Amino acid sequence: MAALLIDYAAAGDLLDEPTLELSERAARRSLLDQIGQLDRLLSAAVCEAFPDRLELPELMPRGPRVQSLGELELLRDGLVGSLCEARSALAAREQERALAHELLTEMLRDPAKHRRLRITQRELGVGGCGVWSVAPRLGPMGRLMGWWRVKLSSGCPLAT
Amino acid sequence: MAIELDQEFPGLRAEWRRCICSDNRCDAGVGERLDTLASRFSGRQAIELRQQQIPAAYRSFYRQIGIDPDLEPTHVEQAALSRLLAGGNRQSDRISDALLLALLETSVPVFAFEAAAVAPPVEIRQALAGELAGGADLPPGTLILADRERALCQLFEQPDVAMAVTGTGAEILLVAVAVPGVSAIASDEALTIAAEAISGS
Repeated sequence: MAALLIDYAAAGDLLDEPTLELSERAARRSLLDQIGQLDRLLSAAVCEAFPDRLELPELMPRGPRVQSLGELELLRDGLVGSLCEARSALAAREQERALAHELLTEMLRDPAKHRRLRITQRELGVGGCGVWSVAPRLGPMGRLMGWWRVKLSSGCPLAT
Repeated sequence: MAIELDQEFPGLRAEWRRCICSDNRCDAGVGERLDTLASRFSGRQAIELRQQQIPAAYRSFYRQIGIDPDLEPTHVEQAALSRLLAGGNRQSDRISDALLLALLETSVPVFAFEAAAVAPPVEIRQALAGELAGGADLPPGTLILADRERALCQLFEQPDVAMAVTGTGAEILLVAVAVPGVSAIASDEALTIAAEAISGS
């Protein structure tokens, strides 16, 4: 995203008023378009995060009124910051899910080694409320003999 | 530099229409439509509403005029949230139900004023120094709905009690607030749905 910098103090000496006005109008238009686009990108990130909730910084309310050029820049910069945070949170979540998938693969490969491990469907990024865990086959006998298996519980007593 | 609203926000407009409310009691037909619409909103759908064209246009506009739509949701998002919290679209009176129906069908907010208290045309403009709405001072430059003579209310706020519809038999002025990106068809449809639901035609 290109930053738009207009030094009005310097420009005032060089440009006449109609030209300055055109420049400011163009700057405002560009910032308004950027703000609209950033909001749409932020909305997409929020939807992608669902059902998890993104903790985004609250932006200072200033309206409803026409914002000055400086205020539009602050709004734009605030949204850029929020979008970066949202994308970082989503990337971190993807990393955690990948790790959870790796752990599940290991668990399935060698259940005995992961007896105390529990992985929820939510941690895997899969819908539903089930939990993967290791349980002994045939109860106490299995525990004594070292017969372990991976079990997916439904998590919901009403699930069919 | 003086900011002209129509240049800053091309397409920002207030459209209005008159109708008569012969009976302010809830209408069963409107209630059925609200119930049908309630089935459209699950949690995911309420969240994804923000990506639809018209709700997204309102969100962008909110940001551009300094309102954070995550703190002060747009009307349609607020209605979706209320539906989730209440478990359905609750009916209250014919006029409120009609405005809610128009909002849920089109995502365009419609406001109702007592027609006798408003002198059309209704427009969106910036408040002047010393203007009042609802008894409160409006900071100069605040975006407002205004008629020919005075400020009616802050943009997107509910009308002041003095201008609210009083009851059966009243002539009502419906005002739809459309922002850039909202087509004339959508705002016209919102007014039509609200007017027909109120007048019972």
